[in-house]
Order: sequence, then C-alpha cells, then structure tokens
Amino acid sequence: MTEKVRVAVDAMGGDLAPTEVVKGAIEAAKENDLVKVFLVGQEDKINVELAKYEYDHERIEVVNATEVIEMAEAPVLAIRNKKDSSIVKAMYMVKHGEADAYVSAGSTGANLVGGQLIVGRIKGVERAPLAPFIPTEKGVSLLIDCGANVDARSSHLVQFAKMGSIYYESVMQKRNPTVALLSIGVEEDKGNALVKETYPLLKNCPDINFIGNIEARDISSGVADVIVTEAFAGNIALKMYEGVAKTMFSTLKKGLLSSTRAKIGALLIKPALKETLKDFNIDKYGGAPMLGLNGLVVKTHGSSKAVEIKNSILQCVVFKEHNVNDKIREVLNLQDAHVKA
Amino acid sequence: MELEKLKELIVDVLNVDPNEIKDDTKFIDDLGADSLDVYQIIMGIEDEFGIKLPEDKIEKITTVGEAVELIKEVND
Repeated sequence: MTEKVRVAVDAMGGDLAPTEVVKGAIEAAKENDLVKVFLVGQEDKINVELAKYEYDHERIEVVNATEVIEMAEAPVLAIRNKKDSSIVKAMYMVKHGEADAYVSAGSTGANLVGGQLIVGRIKGVERAPLAPFIPTEKGVSLLIDCGANVDARSSHLVQFAKMGSIYYESVMQKRNPTVALLSIGVEEDKGNALVKETYPLLKNCPDINFIGNIEARDISSGVADVIVTEAFAGNIALKMYEGVAKTMFSTLKKGLLSSTRAKIGALLIKPALKETLKDFNIDKYGGAPMLGLNGLVVKTHGSSKAVEIKNSILQCVVFKEHNVNDKIREVLNLQDAHVKA
Repeated sequence: MELEKLKELIVDVLNVDPNEIKDDTKFIDDLGADSLDVYQIIMGIEDEFGIKLPEDKIEKITTVGEAVELIKEVND
C-alpha cells in the first residue's frame, strides 16, 4: 500500500492536549511514511507545540477549530451545538472523505455520539460498538461492546461478534479467532434473556468461531479472543478489570515497601516483575475502535500520552491496510442491503 | 416534500422498508430506533433543509408525523 492514510486527530482532546497529542502525531508521521495527520483544534495552541519539532509539513497539517468539547458536557448537545469544535470538525472530515480515520483522547460520550451522528454507520450495521483490547495471560482479547449500546438486541450482538472477529483477525493476524459470549455461567441455558436469545444465533453463525459462554473470571486467562457483550455489562467488566489491576498494583507496592526486608526483596524481583508486566502493556495496540462506521473512529483514554496517540494513529494504517470496513461489509452481506423487505 | 425526505432518511438510517413508514409510525416502538437514531435522522433533516430544530421539541418527537409537523413549523 502506498496511498497515504489520512488521520484527523482531535488535537484538543484529553488531559494532556495539545502537547502530547502533537508530539504523538509527529512521532507517528516519523515512524510511518504512509501517515498524513490533520491536527484539528485551536491553531495558535497547536502551532506553539509544533514549533518544538522539525517535521514534514506536507504530512502534518493544522486545521483550525475554535471550540473545545469539555469532558463534562452533555454529548448530544455538544455535538449538535459546537460545530466549530475539534471533535465535530475532525469527524466531518471523515464524513466528507477528507480523512480516512479519526483519533481522539477527548470525551468518550461526545466521541460515541459523534461517531454515530456525524461519521455514520455502514448501511445495515445496526449499532456501532466500541471495542478495546484488554490484556490477558495469553496476549490480548477484544471486549466488544464497551460503548454506548447499553440496551442491545441479539441481532446487534451477532453483528458485534462478526465485526469483532474480523477486526481481531486483521489486527492480531490470527485466523479464525475464538469468540465467546459474556455470561454468568458457561452452560447454554445460563444468562439473562438477551444472552439466552443470542447464544443459539452465535452457535449457528458460520462466519465466526464461537466457543460458547465465558464467565467474567475467565476473561483474564485469555480463554477467548473476542468477548461479545452489550455495553452495560461490557463497561462494568472493563472498569472492574481496570480497578482490580490498579488495586492489586498499589497493594503490591505497599507490601513491597513495608519493611527493609521487603524492600530488599523488591529490589531483587524488580527486573523480572518489570519484564512480566510488559506483557500487560496494551498501549502498542492503540485505542479502542468504534467498529461499523463509514471510516474509523479511535478513542484513546483521556490521560493518553504521545505514545498512545502515536499508536492510535498507526492503528489507523493497519485498519486501512487490512480493508477492515470492506471485510465487514462483505461478512455482514451489506453490499446491496438497503431495505429489509 | 418534508415527509418524502424524512422517509428517505429513515430508510437510510434504520434500513427499514419505506412502506412501513406512515404518519403514526413510532420511531422507537415500530421502527426499532434508539434516541441516537432519531437524532441522526433529525440532523439529516437539518442539513437538508438548512434549519435548526429546537432541542426541547426534538426530545418530544415519538412519531414520524410529529417530526414532519415540527419541520414544517420551523420551515414556516
């Protein structure tokens, strides 16, 4: 592929914007010649940051947007009313074909709403799920959906399974990834009405490698590559995962610093511990994509530093290289889908 | 004209049969839309007609007919 991958980046989104966003964009352009970045936001602030670097001006461009959507703003109102905000303007660039993809560390709500309202879903895609990679004992799993669809239907979950499978296969280069349904027991008859209705649909779906239900405690062992759920349970599982990890690390740290003997032990295990924990660093995979849209929307976490922004931009190259959206259209048989009748 | 354009957008966003869409068709109950779908359709209408529909009234829309009435009201 020699065609440039044009990424509209929300330069004002995130706790460390625009400093870390600009730095990440510069690093992405340096690392991959295919990257062309549009830094969308308040140009005076962006230019102050850009002045710190030497870079290819043809591959990093500034698009002025005077407004900023704050984290606490009501997403729908913000998207509708702040037309000159970095999020809205950058998303319109994707909608109008001026950019292939979009990256933001800004408000999750505004990004989810904007993805659907501005970029829009691929025809026939019923809902667009947010699908972050989470670290596991065996590598990473894709948890789909952790986004806005808290009241999903079984047909949505089937589409999530197919889209998640395509995305995992493309990004992780693993053929026929395993797909599981998040439930409260592994047996087919366990779960709420939605899970029970979805199970047979996934079991009989020829496009995916369905392995059955999975319980939350098995997520971290890496039992399945793709874990399908609606966003309500998905988001709870994700936040629980993050919370437990944080608590474990702080408790461990406290224990290791509790006495002189413990501190000596800590010094001895530090290199091995550091090496082990590297496997749990998922920054290299970029942010969470919102799948099923007419273009790629990547949401990276609010405290993203340059490395996460860089990897999120590079993730857009992989997405385009592997024609993920074409594959989604193909597998969901959407080429001619227009009306159900 | 408003109804036709609205129908086109509904079909586009919700992937439904245009024959299913009548004045009294409910976006959520009959067409399976969610609140974001309704906003997506409304924003399409706003772009098409170059108008801005008031938020408080958008939130009260439940049927296709109510949407048409609101568009006409703002257009006038």
